[in-house]
Amino acid sequence: MNFRMKLGGALLAAALSTTAFHGAFAADDTIKIGVLHSLSGTMAISETTLKDAMLMLIEEQNKKGGVLGKKLEAVVVDPASDWPLFAEKARQLISQDKVAAVFGCWTSSSRKSVLPVFEELNSILFYPVQYEGEESSRNIFYTGAAPNQQAIPAVDYLAATEGVERWVLAGTDYVYPQTTNKILKAYLMSKGVKEEDIMVNYTPFGHSDWQTIVSDIKKFGSAGKKTAVVSTINGDANVPFYKELGNQGIKAEDIPVVAFSVGEEELAGLDTKPLVGHLAAWNYFQSVDAPVNAEFIKTWHAYTKNDKRVTNDPMEAAYIGFNAWVKAVEAAGTTDTDAVLDSIIGVAVPNLSGGTSTVMPNHHITKPVLIGEIQADGQFDIVQETPAVVGDEWSDYLPDSKDLISDWRKPMSCGNFNVATGKCGGKGS
Amino acid sequence: MLIRLFSMIFLFLCFAASSFAQGPDPKPLLNQLADANFSQAETLVGQIATIGDPRVVPALEAFAEGDLYFRKSDKAVFLAKAAGSQLELIDPVTGESAGQVAKGAVTKIRVNNNLRRAIRAALGGLTLMSPDRGVRLSAADSILRSPSAEALELVEAALAKETDAEVKARMEEARAVSLLSSDRSVDEKRAAIETISSLGGREAMRIFSTVSSSIDESLKPEVDKAIAKIQGQLQIWDLAQNVWYGMSLGSVLLLAAIGLAITFGVMGIINMAHGEMVMLGAYSTFMVQDVIRDNAPYLFDWSLAIALPVAFLVTGLVGFVIERGVIRFLYGRPLETLLATWGVSLILQQAIRTIFGPTNQEVGNPSWMSGSFPLGGMTITYNRMWIIVFSLTIFFTLLFVMKKTAYGLNMRAVTQNRRMASSMGIRTPWVDALTFALGSGIAGIAGVALSQIDNVSPNLGQSYIIDSFMVVVFGGVGNLWGTLVGALSLGILNKFLEPSVGAVLGKILVLVLIILFIQKRPRGLFALKGRAVEA
Amino acid sequence: MISGFILRALEGKIVIAAGILLAVAMLVPALNLLTPPDSAFHIPTYVMALMGKYLCYALLALALDLVWGYCGILSLGHGAFFALGGYAMGMYLMRQIGSRGTYGNPDLPDFMVFLNWKELPWFWYGFDMFPFAMLMVLVVPGLLAFFFGWFAFRSRVNGVYLSIITQAMTYALMLAFFRNDMGFGGNNGLTDFKDILGFQVQAGGTRAVLFAMSAIMLALCLIVASAITRSKFGKVLVGVRDAESRVRFLGFRVENIKLFTFVVSAMFAGIAGALFVPQVGIINPGEFAPANSIEVVVWTAVGGRGTLIGPIIGAILVNAGKSYFTGAFPEFWLFALGGLFIAVTLFLPKGIVGTIQHGWNARKALKAAAEAEKGRDAGTPPVTQQVQAAE
Repeated sequence: MNFRMKLGGALLAAALSTTAFHGAFAADDTIKIGVLHSLSGTMAISETTLKDAMLMLIEEQNKKGGVLGKKLEAVVVDPASDWPLFAEKARQLISQDKVAAVFGCWTSSSRKSVLPVFEELNSILFYPVQYEGEESSRNIFYTGAAPNQQAIPAVDYLAATEGVERWVLAGTDYVYPQTTNKILKAYLMSKGVKEEDIMVNYTPFGHSDWQTIVSDIKKFGSAGKKTAVVSTINGDANVPFYKELGNQGIKAEDIPVVAFSVGEEELAGLDTKPLVGHLAAWNYFQSVDAPVNAEFIKTWHAYTKNDKRVTNDPMEAAYIGFNAWVKAVEAAGTTDTDAVLDSIIGVAVPNLSGGTSTVMPNHHITKPVLIGEIQADGQFDIVQETPAVVGDEWSDYLPDSKDLISDWRKPMSCGNFNVATGKCGGKGS
Repeated sequence: MLIRLFSMIFLFLCFAASSFAQGPDPKPLLNQLADANFSQAETLVGQIATIGDPRVVPALEAFAEGDLYFRKSDKAVFLAKAAGSQLELIDPVTGESAGQVAKGAVTKIRVNNNLRRAIRAALGGLTLMSPDRGVRLSAADSILRSPSAEALELVEAALAKETDAEVKARMEEARAVSLLSSDRSVDEKRAAIETISSLGGREAMRIFSTVSSSIDESLKPEVDKAIAKIQGQLQIWDLAQNVWYGMSLGSVLLLAAIGLAITFGVMGIINMAHGEMVMLGAYSTFMVQDVIRDNAPYLFDWSLAIALPVAFLVTGLVGFVIERGVIRFLYGRPLETLLATWGVSLILQQAIRTIFGPTNQEVGNPSWMSGSFPLGGMTITYNRMWIIVFSLTIFFTLLFVMKKTAYGLNMRAVTQNRRMASSMGIRTPWVDALTFALGSGIAGIAGVALSQIDNVSPNLGQSYIIDSFMVVVFGGVGNLWGTLVGALSLGILNKFLEPSVGAVLGKILVLVLIILFIQKRPRGLFALKGRAVEA
Repeated sequence: MISGFILRALEGKIVIAAGILLAVAMLVPALNLLTPPDSAFHIPTYVMALMGKYLCYALLALALDLVWGYCGILSLGHGAFFALGGYAMGMYLMRQIGSRGTYGNPDLPDFMVFLNWKELPWFWYGFDMFPFAMLMVLVVPGLLAFFFGWFAFRSRVNGVYLSIITQAMTYALMLAFFRNDMGFGGNNGLTDFKDILGFQVQAGGTRAVLFAMSAIMLALCLIVASAITRSKFGKVLVGVRDAESRVRFLGFRVENIKLFTFVVSAMFAGIAGALFVPQVGIINPGEFAPANSIEVVVWTAVGGRGTLIGPIIGAILVNAGKSYFTGAFPEFWLFALGGLFIAVTLFLPKGIVGTIQHGWNARKALKAAAEAEKGRDAGTPPVTQQVQAAE
């Protein structure tokens, strides 16, 4: 009996001391930065690289003397690809470790999971991955691409340059592909593409048997019109998809595939020779010819002690987000959330494609859109580059969001202002 | 007709001969590529092709491959080959070496899909008369893929000279296809429709649907008839194709499950670390290929054959250690093996992640595992075909070991009645350890094959573990034949559901069907009988 | 007489455990709300939220223990019941957002709006009413368990076969809930809740009440579980676990006994899920993942199955460890976790509580034996009987 009581007490004490332990190391002469990326579980494959990139950026900044005369200190936690754990870890970073800002998340689910935490505890999250849009939070900065910064320019390129008239929209069955495909379908139909010339196909996560779908694509592509595949297939499923594509002999000259989730990192697991000419749309490729990029790649190779490690688009997004935060903190003279939120809007920092990216009032950024063709060495050859595009959080091609805008500057300070009704809060009630 | 053909050939030969002698030099046109944008380059490729000089073929091929460069100093265009850290420049027309330069001194001439298409069409025309049979065949193929009225006369000329039956047949088809988009007479077109429709398959479908809108009114009904006929054929082939896809998926399931059929099915260990054994097998393949790439690239086509014993030994050894270290304390407590092996699987996953990093590793396909060949109206990919062969080979080898060898007899004796077997003088601990090692080793071999079609990442095993358990349970625990039949029938069922309900719902339905099936036959497809079952 | 004594002793344990839980239910929120943040006794909201989560997991582990530890049914799909309870709660919370969603649509949750849904699917009806939603928290997992169990137990599917098909069940549900067409928000699930019964979900007071509710519900379920397992029915239950055929030959309807326990257990899991969602702030198909259900099994095993307090301690211990290690050793915590599972199965096969209880009972039996030696004349029953009862 006695024992049980002691055990209960010990447990409580253990839980408490865990947090006390964390707090004890809070030194005043450093600024803490949270890094919230999965290091285990299914998403580790993509997110671990971003953790490394963040640690490198922080180290580089410290070499330059830190921020506001203080050194930066990274607090790395592992949310283990488990969405509720993301919320728990976010709360821990903000309220126990007292971090000034958090860089993290990959999937939309993880972002959605931490969003209420950041709003409640009033902290800042920089989210570095391309996503479906339809969100704008006061406390989140979206440095990855919105659909109009990736999907729509890619489709335009295929239609204009390759004369594509028939479209396969193939994706993994989750929110990003569903939304992107809805937007694309509306967009294509507004350009005069007929319903029967669009085929939409969804597959489960981690799908590995692509035989049927690839042969369906072949079938769809033999209708006499130039056909292309727009792929929103999620990371893991891409390798078997491309292998099947290569083996069934679908060449880029016949049916090109343009992907939004395939970058240098995903191609690293593939023999790309049969895939030469298939496309990807991003805001950055490692092959970008710019001095700032060469410098970045050099630093990355030195940091990872591996000159085969590739760089990719989310890393660039993290780079932009981090530098924008540093600049905003220096402008504000403090890491206080409200001050930084005010000072960061309009901050322009160099991006890795040789231009500058500006943080817009809707908490998205401006970036150029690059279309690249896969090369035999696993890199991309850039075949088109647009001028910088502003990320559009509320798509113009979805009926319920076309009237919404977001502007976090005072006096509007609203993430979903309806220009038709003139009210903040969507349709209003 | 005949006279006309002859005169054509004569004309063509004259043309070809003259172009060798005093045709315009293609070099200035090639050099213009240095400054051209994509659409200008496309026009240039067309112009280069009309010169008809076969000497430009290597240059065009290099262009399509992205190996064409221009020198920054004088904008002269060269082919380039890597020579150490430098590039060796080769004259695009004569093929002579033009010395070595640093990589920074030249710029790659960029190429996109449109250009590649244009180059392919140009090459098709230029290489139809090549002395090499294979080149002629692929030339005919590329005309078949991108037909044009201009190519028609070239094909006809080449056709007249062709002696090889297969190439000739392919050229006939290419001619027919090109003819449809030309302005030849209706009669000739009618004959062409006949030829194409006997070609059959998806390709013919594509050709007919392309021309059906632009063709003469009088030929419309024939095109429609041909389309209907091909559609009918394709439906039957689709059925065959689905069965094939199902078998292929089934063989993958069989591969994933067969090791589990031993550790779980025969030994009764709920082996959650089974997936990780598959993963270790795949990583062994990666390691073997890595060593081969660095030391003996000529062995690459043999890499899988070398990887098989390596993977078997590595995973077998790991299995042996797991059995001796953990599982031997847990016999008779099957549900607890689940917990311990779950722990093992977490550790193995994280160990691989720590050693190799969390990202995908590249495992290449040897040449005999790449590509596909047509069989009637369906496409058979080599990697799938070899995996089916491979999985059946493993299955029957295993069956042989279990049923026909002394070791197999011992193994069955131990699993059926441990104490009795022990009393008969069988060293049960040794047999247990070897059996678990065998099951693990076979999972490792499966990993070698699966590395050819899937990601090689620390998560590889996780994606197969549930499917493997389903297969073994569905087939009947303890029965190898059950695993075979279970895997193939689940695979085929899945592939027949997929086209009508989609991949996601198809998978859900299969799971629901398994649940319902187990209610009907609580011990799977091939249930073991007798009292041992109750134990 | 002796069995009565043991029964009382065991009930005493349960009462104490329930008492501790109730004390925690009062004390932790009080320390969180009433003490100043810099006080030594202050419990930060973060810790309270964390502990609330552990308590929900503990309830889930208790639910699993009821079927596994007492009835011998190893369910690898209890995460499904948990998630269904969570979804029922999540749907209520989504409906409470009303027109405060980003699109301001009064009826449709945001994810339906941007996927162009025009009206609310029928299965969302009624979830705007709290009592209905709470009913569904029990009914949906209960019904699923009922139909699943009805077929499975009737066909005498048991052992690993049952484990594997429960795994198939949760896997199929996971795939289904991942589909956006299902109308449950696809992989993003349900999130960004605003309020519950008119109180703001994020407010300190609401959190405190939710925490207290978790502790109280856990205490209640513990008492219910104890009542079930200590009753005559509970004895039969253990009989089913240890020798199913014999119990059947004695004339009991084994399938009904199993079915009842399975359904009760599923409802417990549903309650756990419903309490989990507002505290964590998200429910998505990841909760259906087979790996999650296996983890629940691990907590139960670590704590000690076949005891009611074991799974609670196991769940809290493993999760506290996970919280600590994922922060302190993000790269290596899986080694620690994996090592723990192996160590527990090898060295503590009865789990922590089971091992302690075993030692305790053995000591008591020894003492009793010594006493019996002394007072044999007083007519105490033979020692062997006592030892058996204690086992």
